[in-house]
Amino acid sequence: MEALLFTQGLNVVFEALILAMLVLGLAVVMGLLNVLNIAHGEFIMIGAYAAYIVQRAGLPYLLAIPAAALVCGVIGLVVERCLIRPLHYEPFETLLATWGLGLLLRKCVELGFGRGYRSVDIPIGGSVSLFGESYPTYRLVLMLVAVLVLASLFVWYRRAPTGARIRAMVGNPVLAEAVGIRTRELARNTFITGTALAGVAGVMVAPLTPVEPFMGLTFIVNSFFALVVGGMGTVSGLFAGATIIGGLQSVLSAAVSPTSAYIAMLLISILFLWQRPRGLFPRP
Amino acid sequence: MTSGYFEIQNISGGYGSGRVVRDVSISIGRGEVVCLLGRNGVGKSTLAKLACGFLQPMSGAVRLAGVEITGKRPSENLTLGLTYCPQERVVFDDLTVAENLSLMRTDRRLDEFEPYFRAFPRLCERRGQHAGTLSGGEKKLLSFVRGLSEGSAMMVIDEPTEGVQFENVVRMAELMLAQKEAGASFLVVEQNLTLVDRVADRIMIMDHGEIVLSAPASELDRQQILAHLTV
Repeated sequence: MEALLFTQGLNVVFEALILAMLVLGLAVVMGLLNVLNIAHGEFIMIGAYAAYIVQRAGLPYLLAIPAAALVCGVIGLVVERCLIRPLHYEPFETLLATWGLGLLLRKCVELGFGRGYRSVDIPIGGSVSLFGESYPTYRLVLMLVAVLVLASLFVWYRRAPTGARIRAMVGNPVLAEAVGIRTRELARNTFITGTALAGVAGVMVAPLTPVEPFMGLTFIVNSFFALVVGGMGTVSGLFAGATIIGGLQSVLSAAVSPTSAYIAMLLISILFLWQRPRGLFPRP
Repeated sequence: MTSGYFEIQNISGGYGSGRVVRDVSISIGRGEVVCLLGRNGVGKSTLAKLACGFLQPMSGAVRLAGVEITGKRPSENLTLGLTYCPQERVVFDDLTVAENLSLMRTDRRLDEFEPYFRAFPRLCERRGQHAGTLSGGEKKLLSFVRGLSEGSAMMVIDEPTEGVQFENVVRMAELMLAQKEAGASFLVVEQNLTLVDRVADRIMIMDHGEIVLSAPASELDRQQILAHLTV
């Protein structure tokens, strides 16, 4: 019984960390630039396809991470130039535009790969024995990678002035130019960082889920819920949202059913949007 | 005509297709302070924005130290030695006073701002607060300190004393004069004669988008200036 609880506990931590990785790109773009990238899930999907291609080509799986980051970064660059910047980063306009972009990306991938499910083999097989219970090694490695990525990003955001400069630019673009911030480049790079992170998250989850053109839809919904609950633009908000949404989903799915888990998440998100729209830890 | 350090040459422009500034030329030498006066809405702020790259002029040119900077972005102009302090939305409200000052520095300590903090202790007391909580006058002081601390050879300041207390205006003038001694030039859009009396080498008066009067400060008395400022 204790061992089962321990495994369940690990699963909750795992779900929370994976969700945090999935949200990260959206948190950067939405929390910092106020652009709700509805196509965020599609960038995760493209990252997953990049992993599939790299694995099929017989290349080492680690190579999929830079490949996905590169592909999603380049698409992000084009999207920023042709869609986001011409719409002046306006929240509502870009929401509509990226919704259309999501449709386009899904259809493009469908054209190339068809609608069928692809599966990506788990790159690190086997399991580790923890307190008498066996736990998949790949999950443990994923958790470790997620902790490393999130921790380094956290330290960087706190120490480097870039975070404050992005906030400054979003709050007052004219003054930002006046104090010497190259606002066009900074906004572009922030957006690209968000899409590239989505691609990397796609590589991480690809072996755990069927890879298909519509897989992004679930991710964008969960990511959005996590941001709504946690609050935009803060690292604590990202963690809180991912833990609550990811953990709840994991516990309720195991204890009751995935459907009731989904209903619970919806209710919580609606409650937050209604009563506390800025989330638990909003940017001051 | 001798060429100045900062030259605005036959600039025309405005917002969209509206021509607010008409064929204005201003030449400012090294270590010279030019004060631009005029009633509200005659195009002073627009001229400052045209000169610093926030608006694209319809015609005319801007030169800094002989180099044409027309059409260059403000962030680029800053690296060339042209600082601009806006009239409105003068600080980053979401950042602290300290962050407002150290935003573009690699060093987050505020040692180099000590002289400014001595002049305006209020800013030092409030350095941990969000700049959005400051009063209008305090925000102007913060913006002024940020601008002066860039150490640029040319500064364009739009109404720096709006809402600032008299004794702080006097200190602003002292700080400006110290930088002028070191060779810095200023173009100051101003309504407040307390500052103008103390710093101006030359006074220009603008009306309907044009310069209607330009004279050394010593040759103009208050009555003549006031006559232009009142409707």
